Amino acid sequence: MRFAKLILKNVLRNKRRTLLTISSLIVSLFLIISLATILTEFERGSQEANPMRLMSRHSVSLGFLLPIGDVQRIQSVQGVKAVMPFTWFGGIYKDEKNFFANFAVDAAKMKEIYAELKMPDDQWKAFESDRQGAMVGKKLQILYGFTPGQRITLKSPIYNQDVEFVVRGVYTGSDEKTLFFHHEYLNELAPAWAKDQAGLFAILANSADDVPRIGQTVDSMFVNTDAPTKTESEKEFARSFETMMGGVKTFLYGIMAAITFSLLLVMGNTMAMTVRERTKEVGTLKAIGFKRGTIAGLFVGEAVLLAVIGAGIGIAAATLLFRSVDMSLYIPNFVSFVPETETLIAAFVLAILVGVISVVYSTYRVTGLTIAEALRSTE
Amino acid sequence: MALPLKYNLRNLIVRKGSTLATAFTIGLTVAVFLLVMALARGIDMTLSSSGEPLNVIVVREGSTAELNSSVSREQYNDLIYLDGVVREGETPLATGEIITLIYKPRKGMSQGSNVQVRGVGPMSFKLHSGFQIAQGRTFQPGLMEAVVSKRITERFQGLDIGDKFRIQTTDYTVVGTFDSGGKAFESEIWVDVNSLASTTKRVDSFSSAVLRAKDQNALSALSKRITDDPKLHLKAVSERTFYEDQQGIASGALKGLAVFISFIMAVGAGFAGMNTMYAAVARRTKEIGTLRVLGFGRFSILIAFLLESVAVAVIGAAIGILLAMPLNFVSTGTSNWATFSEIAFNFRVTLDLAVMALVFGAIIGFIGSLLPSIRASRLRIVEALRA
Repeated sequence: MRFAKLILKNVLRNKRRTLLTISSLIVSLFLIISLATILTEFERGSQEANPMRLMSRHSVSLGFLLPIGDVQRIQSVQGVKAVMPFTWFGGIYKDEKNFFANFAVDAAKMKEIYAELKMPDDQWKAFESDRQGAMVGKKLQILYGFTPGQRITLKSPIYNQDVEFVVRGVYTGSDEKTLFFHHEYLNELAPAWAKDQAGLFAILANSADDVPRIGQTVDSMFVNTDAPTKTESEKEFARSFETMMGGVKTFLYGIMAAITFSLLLVMGNTMAMTVRERTKEVGTLKAIGFKRGTIAGLFVGEAVLLAVIGAGIGIAAATLLFRSVDMSLYIPNFVSFVPETETLIAAFVLAILVGVISVVYSTYRVTGLTIAEALRSTE
Repeated sequence: MALPLKYNLRNLIVRKGSTLATAFTIGLTVAVFLLVMALARGIDMTLSSSGEPLNVIVVREGSTAELNSSVSREQYNDLIYLDGVVREGETPLATGEIITLIYKPRKGMSQGSNVQVRGVGPMSFKLHSGFQIAQGRTFQPGLMEAVVSKRITERFQGLDIGDKFRIQTTDYTVVGTFDSGGKAFESEIWVDVNSLASTTKRVDSFSSAVLRAKDQNALSALSKRITDDPKLHLKAVSERTFYEDQQGIASGALKGLAVFISFIMAVGAGFAGMNTMYAAVARRTKEIGTLRVLGFGRFSILIAFLLESVAVAVIGAAIGILLAMPLNFVSTGTSNWATFSEIAFNFRVTLDLAVMALVFGAIIGFIGSLLPSIRASRLRIVEALRA
């Protein structure tokens, strides 16, 4: 710590260079944090899945429908607290760019099965009692200004219809970018192939211990029917979507590695210039009795200080930005966009490592010179 | 009077460490940009090449994919005899196909993805040109045999020649692997349509019908006629449009990502380039003074420094292209969100993308060196010589 002041003075010697290097660090760290957050958000669904819920779908594909009558049979399975149809409507609000998920559900059971969705009691009542009613997430309200009482039309290419809904409630909690409406309403207007059919069944178990058994029982009930089911815990269900990303995930990791390496080059180049320019000084320091280790420590300290400042600002900027502006509003399928604390710590450690590694070689060379060699340098 | 190019070249060589570091920084930025774009291009090319220009695909109204579509055999028999459908002798060039999915673990992983299985008839091979057996043989009609695309064999477990896999309750044997000239079919397994019909208990309908139109006019007329018929509840579009519509989400998201990442990386690389150039100007202050005394004007100095840095950037971009090149044609996969099944495709580093990358690199070099070069050109002769 004795040399802290000297290191600081050295950092401030070439202010423009320091500023540029720090700026470079800031943008790189910001980018790494953004990409890491994209990766964690991909897995948000399985991370935050409710262990008491299951999802049942057609065993062949999500694209196939299940007979709605299955609900009664699933309800009779021991350990099932509640079950309801859950059908992807694929409705588009005005323009295809305004993508948000919309599902038909059993309005009367919604509150019980999705207890994490919070809405004032009067809005729940209004939603349940209006056949045309819809409940929308808070973020949809922010994006499109949906307010209770408003009539909105969704155009569904799947059902080939324009359907009008009345917003009856705005919920908060979990995924706030979804619209839910009455399954009965969907059934009334569904074309023949979709009558009395559901895309998925959402099942709530009495306890998390019942979940695996319920899954097996339900699947064995329908195994020999025209519509065999595949029933999984909500976590597995979410994970099956996440693995669909396939190679894209590896690819993102590759990009993060490239950014880190490029940051290493940037820092390495700057630090090499800095160290080389001071060759003569190293000779002087050595001549007045400084040990090689101490001089090396000064250089490493300088690099680490740059890294800490750059990373600190980059991390602070990313955190501040993502906390004040909710990026998930603009990214389809993302329910939130908040960097994890682990990500921030990892980014900070990474920056310090890059700082240290960037200065090692030039420091090793310059501090290894004899006094005479160093003083003779023309740099 | 312009400075000789040799002057710039020599300078780059003298400070080669710094030149290389700067070039590589720009190179990595360019490489990342190129790779993300190449990924998006791969998806685009796979899907847009999948449709034949004169094929009409018929699906249920509202279907965006064949999987959740249905065309009854009765309807099919009417469709193929419509005017405008090419005939080979008496037989219309048309086919009804059935699509289903199987879930398979990826190689080296316990988790997997859906793979699309297509039941095809004899005419399918004519309608989807490019199909070629790579190894083994094709399936025997009527038997529970399958040919698997080479890419799917490579990416998933248990789909090599001789392996058996299950569709619902029936076992199929893999008897061959195939290529299809880069089309989306390279993400599929093909079996006999009648075998698949009995396996999936789907005896009175197909998933989709494909018809070959005589020409462009016939294609439009056919599509319109089928789509507009209120009794049919079917949608007919050109096969090309059909596949192009599926690529939207994935490749659009990737292009957005490419712009976001490479813009930020370019800013970082620009700062780094600025640093290097400021250092170069500082070190050569005396030299600049000398050049000015010799009669080179401010503008020549400005151009010389800009050129030098753009040259480094272009070298960097070239390095970036070289770094990205090995991934050209490497195959990877993600899910097609329209079909919920795996779509395998290649990175495609095409010439226009490479040119774009080169220009992108040069722009980073130019912007990064603008301020240092201006500074160099503004040095006053007396002060420069005294430095």
